[in-house]
Amino acid sequence: MSKRILVVDDQADLRLLIRLSLRALGQVEQAASAEEALCLIGAAPPDLVVLDVWLGQGQNGMDLCRTLRAGPLTSKLPIVLLSANGQSSDIAAGLAAGADDYIVKPFSPDTLAATAARLLAR
Amino acid sequence: MPSHASQAQRLQVLLDLNILDTAPDECFDRITRMAARLFQVPMAFVSLVDADRLWFKSRVGFPYAEAPSARSFCAHAIRQDEVLVVCDAAADEHFATSPYVRGYPHVRFYAGQPLAVDGVYIGTLCLVDSVAREFGDEERALLRDLASMVANEVAAGALREAERRLRCSEASLRALLDHLPDSVLLLDAEGAVVSCNPAAEHLFGQEAAALAGRQAAALLGLAAGALAPAGGAAAARIESVLARGDGNVSVEAALSTLEIDGRPHLLASIRDVSAQRAALEASRAAEQRRRDFFRSATHELRTPMTSILGFSDLLIKRDFDPATGRELLGIVHKQSTRLVAVINQMLDLARIEAGDAEELNRSRVVPEAMLAAALAAAVPPGRSADIAVDAAPSLPPVLGNEERLRQALGNLVANALQFSAPGQRVDIGLAPAQRDGRAGLALHVRDRGIGMTPAQQAQMFDAFYRAGEQPGHEGAGLGLALVREILAAHGGAIEVASRPGAGTSVTLWLPAAAEQA
Repeated sequence: MSKRILVVDDQADLRLLIRLSLRALGQVEQAASAEEALCLIGAAPPDLVVLDVWLGQGQNGMDLCRTLRAGPLTSKLPIVLLSANGQSSDIAAGLAAGADDYIVKPFSPDTLAATAARLLAR
Repeated sequence: MPSHASQAQRLQVLLDLNILDTAPDECFDRITRMAARLFQVPMAFVSLVDADRLWFKSRVGFPYAEAPSARSFCAHAIRQDEVLVVCDAAADEHFATSPYVRGYPHVRFYAGQPLAVDGVYIGTLCLVDSVAREFGDEERALLRDLASMVANEVAAGALREAERRLRCSEASLRALLDHLPDSVLLLDAEGAVVSCNPAAEHLFGQEAAALAGRQAAALLGLAAGALAPAGGAAAARIESVLARGDGNVSVEAALSTLEIDGRPHLLASIRDVSAQRAALEASRAAEQRRRDFFRSATHELRTPMTSILGFSDLLIKRDFDPATGRELLGIVHKQSTRLVAVINQMLDLARIEAGDAEELNRSRVVPEAMLAAALAAAVPPGRSADIAVDAAPSLPPVLGNEERLRQALGNLVANALQFSAPGQRVDIGLAPAQRDGRAGLALHVRDRGIGMTPAQQAQMFDAFYRAGEQPGHEGAGLGLALVREILAAHGGAIEVASRPGAGTSVTLWLPAAAEQA
């Protein structure tokens, strides 16, 4: 059965880049905001969430990450955070929010695909 | 019996009495007058023996206020405990050659009773005559009594002097407390206010009488007993916040324990630290803004970089059909353009903020020409029909950096177009305008677009602030930050009027060229 990956990013170009990077690993769905993501995850939890920390409109991917970790159906859901902020304190905050991995922008499609494959195989 | 003290002791007593070279005093003059009359002598003195002179606190029949002490009768008299009587100085082996005998006032008779103060002889009450005479026991007793009266007056004067000094020292202490900017409370063993200074009255908004007896802990918003020295060791420093009618006041109190009349007391020195706290808050807020700026800048630079590197990586490594390949290359190009724009704007902001020499290049700018150039750069061909310009005749030229002013106006126009739909008119007006009594130029840009909430207006000029993502317009949110910096660098002003759904109107004001030196 094909894996389902949800990309949450407010920028269409980045959603496309991630979709193209991960399409060999499964079916890639997209959400442009935290609400949209919660809607899709609530309907059917995916196998992996790739989540941008900066969601625009004052939304923060870390908050969404914490929300998912607090939900009984999504507490174990593999989550990769993407962020332009790559200082060790930023990464520590992301992992503390419950992310399984934290990828700093800019990243290569191969790195993202390798991380996603590892988490999907768990 | 007073001792024959050393000269140093005598001089110290005279110094403490603060009596030498003071004005005549009727209470002494009364006694010398009485003595002269009683004993029928032409001269009588209250004579004080200074280091090398006699200084007369009171004198009868002698014109000088002082005389040398060398070979004087008085200097001799204070070396004995009894009255010194010389009945005929001319026949006296000790005094016959004294200048006071050989010359003026030609002393023949002298009777001097030493004056004791604080156990030290400081001078005499003495009688002098220029003819020889006898001096019996009864007369000696009378002179002794008069001398006691003089000594009493000296002692009373000393007491008055001590009181005066105490008052002085109290007054200076009081002045110290009255003018201390810190509030001072003296608390008793139970922590109740005993006394306070005017700063404390001001701090607590109550008079000293109303504060007396109040629990200081309650006044300072602390737990009961926190300031009672009897209740145990009080902390040396306490911080608190006073809720006052005019707002909260942050205070720091330094406490010290002391004993008054054998009972423990506490002295609380209280300082209003609200200003320091506010400054600390402001510097924290500034630090937060710097951090936010850095995070935003990082995001704005790395996000397009992610697309550029990511898509080019995919294009190199994978095969796409020509149409998809072109689409991806289009994204790379678009994001590269965006990245360059962000970098340029950040560099512009940094340059204007730093105020480098080129930024300060000023020339006379003709408003109409500047506007035309700004519109040519900022208005896309498809939207030129939406722009309506209304320029008043004879606009005042302004002194400025033409390129920057064009950029500011262009950014405003681009913003107005971005937040209004195609076909919605954007009005641009240029008119002379006074501001604070200064002549200048007003540039209005008014759109009929989506408008802004008050919260959005408050942030619209912040770097990296975006009111909302508009499809096809992915600016970094630096355009209006640049407008603000450019106007500030030109001594101009910005006014904004906006309502959600009713459009936005921004007015830039620049001082006219003639106004600037």
